[in-house]
Amino acid sequence: MRKRIIIRITLIVVLIFIGIFLYTIGKEHKVLIDNRDISVGNITYSADTTYKVRVDNQEIGAIEKGERKVARVAGVSHKIVVEEIKDKVLTGEKYEKKFKLKTNESATVNIPAMINNANEWINKTN
Amino acid sequence: MKKQNLTKTLNPGVKFLINYAVPIIFTILVAIAIPLSGLSGEYLARELMTRLARNSFIILSLLIPVMAGMGMNFSIVLGAMAGEIGLIFITDWQIVGVPGILLAMLISTPLAILLGYFGGIVLNRAKGREMVTGFMLAFFMNGIYQLVVLYGMGNIIPISNSNILLPREYGIRNAIDLIGIRSALDKLIYLKVGGLLIPVVTLLVIAVLCMFIIWFKKTKLGQEIRSVGQDNDVARISGINVGKTRILSIIISTVLACYGQIVFLQNIGTMNTYNSHEQVGVFAIAALLVGGASVNKATIPNVFVGVILFHTMFIVSPRAGKTLIGQAQLGEYFRVFVSYGVIAFSLALYAWRKRVEKENERRKAMALKRVLLQSTNTAGGDKF
Repeated sequence: MRKRIIIRITLIVVLIFIGIFLYTIGKEHKVLIDNRDISVGNITYSADTTYKVRVDNQEIGAIEKGERKVARVAGVSHKIVVEEIKDKVLTGEKYEKKFKLKTNESATVNIPAMINNANEWINKTN
Repeated sequence: MKKQNLTKTLNPGVKFLINYAVPIIFTILVAIAIPLSGLSGEYLARELMTRLARNSFIILSLLIPVMAGMGMNFSIVLGAMAGEIGLIFITDWQIVGVPGILLAMLISTPLAILLGYFGGIVLNRAKGREMVTGFMLAFFMNGIYQLVVLYGMGNIIPISNSNILLPREYGIRNAIDLIGIRSALDKLIYLKVGGLLIPVVTLLVIAVLCMFIIWFKKTKLGQEIRSVGQDNDVARISGINVGKTRILSIIISTVLACYGQIVFLQNIGTMNTYNSHEQVGVFAIAALLVGGASVNKATIPNVFVGVILFHTMFIVSPRAGKTLIGQAQLGEYFRVFVSYGVIAFSLALYAWRKRVEKENERRKAMALKRVLLQSTNTAGGDKF
């Protein structure tokens, strides 16, 4: 009898953990991608060209300067890839960053800050 | 009575025709309707593949209660409701993709078990009238479901996503967009053969369920369910807890129906919060009966034959109706009439067959009694 209860409780605990795991890996996050000027302290990173953006192999498309687009991603770990476009042609300049989001977080990525390796390239909000 | 006597001398061909009257009629109807509809083979195959992946799971959930002698389980609607509640939660929490589907299944499982248990208890109290009781139980539960979803959610049960809440800030909207999980299972792995998209994972899930049912029949519980289905009294004498076994079969069916509804709705991509589950039982049962199943016997091939025949009618009837009468709506009416008619026809056929069997058994018993009496008299006569 006791063995049966232990097995049942263990099963319930395992199922709860599976639920938490599924919640974490399936939770959708909104990632705003800005190609806008940003000032960090005294330094201003300005947006001066168009970028082709991909988040987690999901094509977001070209973001012109001053523009913002939204990506909806699921899970914890993400990768953003930005490719420079000049005169409607890919220049071959490619920037890549990885980031993590907690379950209730969304993020705003600033491309000019990202390509200049500024710490403030990503702003996470709840 | 004359008709019943005739059945004793039926040849195997006529017996086959009586046993498979429904699929035969449907095959003839489909054979007439396909050319009339003018639909291409490729279109028909594509539509059929979608519907096969969408509907098979929920129809398979009907098999176990038939094994237990409880007839067609109209209370699978309860399982469908549980599945929908799981989907409401994952939409609220914005869980997407396959994890979303799995989490919806996980959340709705305890609810489906609870509803199945409740359904099993009610059906045990209505032995011999399980189908009509299940049907009414579904209506009763629908009222409670509406109360919970329309007034409880957002009020007592926290729901934060304004996209699914009514403007008054409690109660769920009439339609929920399941964009996060739309075709997530179907498009996880798929094969493209010509214009046909084969959802490998969904078909694999259905195949696993088929294997589970085959395996389950061979287990101790499966054997017990089968013996309960054959004869309650014999099963009881053999030491089987008949009531418990029947409840378990309904629980399994309800849980499978819950998963079936989730698989169904991920394929559709939208959920009618208050209507999606209503017709689930009737359509699943109609499809199974069209496949050649009866109230006391249903097999896995019946499921697939049923899905193919029943849903081919779904696809071709509006167009066939338009060609034949000039109005697509009339074709639809015809299909609805046939869907419900087929259930009535199967049930009537089953009742008639049962009555004939009983009458034959009674006659056999009478004849045996007469022979025994005669032999006793003869033996007595010899003695004196």
